[in-house]
Amino acid sequence: MSENCSVNMPHRKNKSLLTYLMLGLAGIYSVAGTTGCSSPNNNSTEDRSTKFQQYYIQGEKLYSSHCSNCHQKNGQGLGRVYPPIDSSDYMMENVEEVICLIKHGKEGELLVNGKQYNQRMPGVPSLTPLEIAEISTYIYNTWSNDHGLIEVKQVELILQDCFTTKKE
Amino acid sequence: MVHNKQIINILSLLFILSVIFTACKQPVEKPLPIYGEREVINGDTIFHTIANFQFVNQDSVFVTNDTFKGKIYIADFFFTSCRTICPIMKTQMLRVYDSLKNDADVLILSHTIDPEHDTVALLHDFAERLGVSSSKWHFVTGVQDSIYKIAQTSYFATAMEDGSEPDGFIHSGAFLLIDKQQRIRGNYDGTVEESVNKLIRDVRKLQREYASQEK
Repeated sequence: MSENCSVNMPHRKNKSLLTYLMLGLAGIYSVAGTTGCSSPNNNSTEDRSTKFQQYYIQGEKLYSSHCSNCHQKNGQGLGRVYPPIDSSDYMMENVEEVICLIKHGKEGELLVNGKQYNQRMPGVPSLTPLEIAEISTYIYNTWSNDHGLIEVKQVELILQDCFTTKKE
Repeated sequence: MVHNKQIINILSLLFILSVIFTACKQPVEKPLPIYGEREVINGDTIFHTIANFQFVNQDSVFVTNDTFKGKIYIADFFFTSCRTICPIMKTQMLRVYDSLKNDADVLILSHTIDPEHDTVALLHDFAERLGVSSSKWHFVTGVQDSIYKIAQTSYFATAMEDGSEPDGFIHSGAFLLIDKQQRIRGNYDGTVEESVNKLIRDVRKLQREYASQEK
């Protein structure tokens, strides 16, 4: 018995050392997380700037209050009522239109990933260009989406042209 | 004396057996509550039941109390253009639908509270887009006042027009569980996943209640 114990002892020590090491690593990661590396689904490396993180985190909050009721927390949408925004070909090909429809809404038929949708989306006119940039940065970089930062300046320019493109 | 002792022995044995028997019967489920006012008339308890109604579903078919005769059903109130709680309710109701799809004795009844906008054609499209069968899940429309009235007085759910609300209506996100006698047996928050899980468990409980009555 005692032999067994003495054999086990160093083993335990190793184990606890390893545990401490792992805890330490986890600690470093969690600190890093709070300072801005908390988008585990984002694969793009160049955009992991502080600005990107600020946009992303704010965007996530705004998404959950303005968008996720219909498009769901996981971006999958609902049946053929609300289109998905995770891996959506429409979204990837129409960044400018998406930025406009967040503010002004959209109605009529819409083809997403080969499926036809037709539910009016009300816009949120009260959103500022910065907030729209934040939402866009979030939805374009979460789940399996990986588009990169969408800047407020870019959004401001696009928003100026919303109605001209609508009239065409 | 010996005779008496034997009787006492038999009686105590019977007593012990009955204690064991009732102990074994203990796990019998407590039935779900029955909601609403009740009256006792000539010794019979009369419970609150859903009033008579007649609405039209997504296939232009009349839906009345008879549609739900001998069925358990889940009722709610919504409108298709609502962007606040309805999409969450519909996501959750779809979960209910999926888990009770193969239970022939369970139906779903969703009332629109915006009949002006939610026409039969629109409800048909909505149901089709959700991918649900009209024999299981009825989306109904009708006279607005009748819908509001049945919501308030039969289902104890709030539904009314209110211009100050973002989409022009206020309504509760409740899912109501109705039994085969059209009595309310449960009230759940259709926007909370855990509450909807309880609803699904309670439907099973209600089915067991009916199964035990049939024995």
